[in-house]
Amino acid sequence: MFSRAEDSAARGFMFSSIVWLLIAMSCGLVIAAKQMAPDVFAHVPWLTYGRIRQVHVNGVLFAWMSMAYVGALYYIIPRLTRVKLYSEKLAQVTLWLWNLLIVLAVVTLLAGMTTGVEYAELIWPLDIMVAVIVLLVGFNCIKTVAARKEKQLYVSIWYFIGSLIWLPLVYIVGNIPSEWIGGIQQANMNWFYGHNAIGLWFTTVGVGMIYYLLPKLTNAPLYSHRLSMIGFWAIATLYVWNGPHHLVNGPIPLWLMKAGIIPSLMLIIPVWSVVANVFGTIKGHWHKVSQSIGLKFLVTGTIFYLITCLQGPFQSLMGPSSVLKFTVWVPAHAHMPLFGGFSPVIFALVYYMLEKSNGRIYSRGAQEAHYYFSVIGFLLFGFSMWIAGVLQGFSWVEGNPFMESITAMKSMMIIRSVGGTMMLIGQIFFAWNVWKTVRLPKVKAADRDLDSTVTSA
Amino acid sequence: MFESKLGTLMVGATALFIVGTLGTVILPFTDDTMTTPTASAELRNFAPDSAEARGRDVYVKNGCNTCHTQYVRPVKADANLGPVSQPGDYYYDTPHLLGSNRMGPDLMWIGQRQPSKDWHLKHLKDPQETSPGSIMPAYDYLSEQELNDLVAYLIALKPAPEGAKPKTEEAK
Repeated sequence: MFSRAEDSAARGFMFSSIVWLLIAMSCGLVIAAKQMAPDVFAHVPWLTYGRIRQVHVNGVLFAWMSMAYVGALYYIIPRLTRVKLYSEKLAQVTLWLWNLLIVLAVVTLLAGMTTGVEYAELIWPLDIMVAVIVLLVGFNCIKTVAARKEKQLYVSIWYFIGSLIWLPLVYIVGNIPSEWIGGIQQANMNWFYGHNAIGLWFTTVGVGMIYYLLPKLTNAPLYSHRLSMIGFWAIATLYVWNGPHHLVNGPIPLWLMKAGIIPSLMLIIPVWSVVANVFGTIKGHWHKVSQSIGLKFLVTGTIFYLITCLQGPFQSLMGPSSVLKFTVWVPAHAHMPLFGGFSPVIFALVYYMLEKSNGRIYSRGAQEAHYYFSVIGFLLFGFSMWIAGVLQGFSWVEGNPFMESITAMKSMMIIRSVGGTMMLIGQIFFAWNVWKTVRLPKVKAADRDLDSTVTSA
Repeated sequence: MFESKLGTLMVGATALFIVGTLGTVILPFTDDTMTTPTASAELRNFAPDSAEARGRDVYVKNGCNTCHTQYVRPVKADANLGPVSQPGDYYYDTPHLLGSNRMGPDLMWIGQRQPSKDWHLKHLKDPQETSPGSIMPAYDYLSEQELNDLVAYLIALKPAPEGAKPKTEEAK
């Protein structure tokens, strides 16, 4: 059960995350169906909308993305430090604990055992379990970096170590029991947590992965190491301030709203550093994008990341927020960095890992299908919800009866479901292709690539 | 070059995190508007194990807050929802139920807008009957007790009459 083979935990995390991805996205589809036809799976408490939605949100965040991210950390850190993972056995323990955690999370949430705090729904015993697992993962990774044989810390390591320090802190602040701190303070901390989970974990590990994959997939040195470091410190300085912008126009003092809005406008600095580096590195290698599915995902993810960070500050301003807040525009925005931005980076890494270990991918056609179903599906999903959100928002501004806002977005909700179905179909191609590839006879055993293209940049 | 220093990275990352946390999480605790209960807050200070408190648990357990917000903003879109929410209105809310999504209408002062117990009971059992076109699921799986508790909670959600003083001021 606890294999000590190199990369065994990394692969375990990746494969587990793909299974959870299919489950969590299916829950998303159930939600979409329920928003059109509330009778779907009605009359059953554990399938009610409010509970399935919590499983969907927690599933994509903590099972799919976070597990894949830990897989990425276990895979990339030893390669950039030129040593084995500090403890493969401990890594295996975290893998099994994490899967157990998600099973318990699904069962408790469906049973209605929830704190009721968005993104922090897990009950306190599970919160403690999360904190322990994350600290063990962090300990393992930091020990590995400390024992490194490569003196330089490549920028990906900076992002990874930063994320491993921030995630437990963010999680603890966000999950302080409401018996201790409730009311508006808790709401404020809730958004501190919600925003920093995306900003100081999902974004930062994802950017670290981009910086690892970019020179590998283009076979060119990183455009600017200095720029990537500026981006790192900018994100470390600015992101943590963003929480209060979720309560703009809400029941918090004006100074606090401003403290949230101003740094969110300045976030263009770290985003631009990533975008400039990606495009700068690919310059002269654009022809490779059409040949490499990994680069295709990477470039697409970067573009969606950029759009997210232009859209986010816009909707955090008081004027746009007064129309768009509480509409379906917001969940569409929330999907963009996760599904549009950083999930493609994970896809690129999974294909890269498998190609390295197995020599080839089972089906190129399935990879293309994965790409196009995901991207076109997301575009349909995103734009239908953004349009629906504008219709909904202005319906409220006009003072119409509430039901008008529901009727106004009906057709858009159908397009959203079509888009969402395509997104899920794309992942079925992905999972099937990974399954088939793993079962291929190996053509090349050489797995550990210790070339210097990455670190010499 | 500092780029090879693990210690610098770890200390710097932690320090910057703490600065932002002090600014956006700790500092609000020093703001009186956020730490003083209002008169409306007192109306939401339900006794433990009262029907309203149990109803609130039903509300949380079934994820009502995934579709219903509980805050009214000073903006045009919220003009028909009742008085603008104040930070102190939530003083006794554990957990907070502000919400982030309005697939259904705001419920901050629903007890004022719709005070009828019968309407709420009917609506919860079959939302489409009282609100044609609604996309709210039926909560017919709840027991009579749970439904009654939930309704008691909903109709308790109303603002204090104008000019009412919060308890802390009365005590002075």
